[in-house]
Amino acid sequence: MSEKFHSELDLLKQDTLQMVRFARDMLRDSMNALIAEDYSNALQIASRKKEIRELTISLEDRAYQLIALYQPMAKDMRVIVCILKMIAAAERIGRYGKDIANMTKHLRDQPECAEPLPLPHMAALVTAMIDDVTTSFEKENLALIKDFSSRDNDVDALWHSIFRQSLTFMMENPKTITRSTYYIMAARYLERSGDHACKMAEYVHYAITGERIEIK
Amino acid sequence: MSETTIITTENLNLWYGENNAVVDVSMQIPDRRVTALIGPSGCGKSTLIRCFNRMNDLVSSCRISGRIEFHGNNIYAKDADPVEIRRKIGMVFQKPNPFPKSVYENVAYGPRIHGIKDKKRLDEIVERSLRSAALWDEVRGRMDESALGLSGGQQQRLCIARTLAVEPEVILMDEPCSALDPIATAKIEKLIDSLKQQYTVIIVTHNMQQAARVSDKTGFMYLGKLIEFGPTSQIFEHPQEDLTENYITGRFG
Repeated sequence: MSEKFHSELDLLKQDTLQMVRFARDMLRDSMNALIAEDYSNALQIASRKKEIRELTISLEDRAYQLIALYQPMAKDMRVIVCILKMIAAAERIGRYGKDIANMTKHLRDQPECAEPLPLPHMAALVTAMIDDVTTSFEKENLALIKDFSSRDNDVDALWHSIFRQSLTFMMENPKTITRSTYYIMAARYLERSGDHACKMAEYVHYAITGERIEIK
Repeated sequence: MSETTIITTENLNLWYGENNAVVDVSMQIPDRRVTALIGPSGCGKSTLIRCFNRMNDLVSSCRISGRIEFHGNNIYAKDADPVEIRRKIGMVFQKPNPFPKSVYENVAYGPRIHGIKDKKRLDEIVERSLRSAALWDEVRGRMDESALGLSGGQQQRLCIARTLAVEPEVILMDEPCSALDPIATAKIEKLIDSLKQQYTVIIVTHNMQQAARVSDKTGFMYLGKLIEFGPTSQIFEHPQEDLTENYITGRFG
């Protein structure tokens, strides 16, 4: 029985990692579509929302079933807890991706801001964090998440900077209010996704070591 | 809540002939708590709890070194009285083993051999013990019927009542639920939880979920050694030893 349990748990873990990567792709692709104002791609990304919802339900159900049938303990129990938390975080990240994709159509014919914002750079930092936390769970390698606190600080700093910059643009040229507001929202979603990556990292740490940490 | 220790073992070793069944066990059993011992079959956990009330005295090939103290007194000292020790440290076994007598006589037996003759006092002791064992309501009208007519779960609670009747301080339980169905098991588990208000319970179990549910501290034994002993939540959430981790996650044993 224990072999069956462990192979099912392994499979669930692999599928969860895949779901997190699916959500990361939604976030990354939606940011690309937003910057490029690629409306048709944005539409396609938003439609992936259905898939992420279905993944959430089916993966969660498999986790609940393992708990009910095998009453896992110690590391097995911690891994399942981590999986459940990762599923929830991935769903949030995927939905931020959908929200960002949906903004794209509102930018049509809106005047450009005075200068480009560091949104692509911010998106790259956040998706790299999601990548690293996923790989760290996959390979049980804590080194990949040990600098998450400072990386999250960088993401936060970018969010504040984009916010301030956008305010300036809006004051200088009220015609950019629509575009700047959407950019602020996108930056906010990226910042939230970075926080979700940190939360996942806390649970990966718990799953691997049994110890709780707080990434501030 | 601070814990006081009721039983201490120091470098306890036990041999059955050449076989070193308990190896260098040092542990402190907390008073009025439930302590569980887990481990694969033959790891020495039953043997260990049988040392606590000198049940192994009855095995001729058995030899012990090290110390076991009960309230600070060596229970293997020359002047220690095994009968008195077994009164203070009672035991409940895997299979319910009521005497082939009436329900009443099963519980009254112990107090009687310890010299209590007064019928009214015996009645009081029987009722109190059956109430403590959560059996009173089920058997109050069947006192004179044979104990062998009770269900397995009731018989096991009768055995617990029989142990309680001589006012022990510690109750050793060796797989008390392994012969019972889930409902009877749940009743015994609830009972164990209420017993710790007044008694120290040491339970040997193969059922890890049971250990996790009922105990405050858990010890994991393997090949006669006490590998890890700590708060139950720690043992089942993040054990410190790889052996414990592998055992409770079903990777061996």
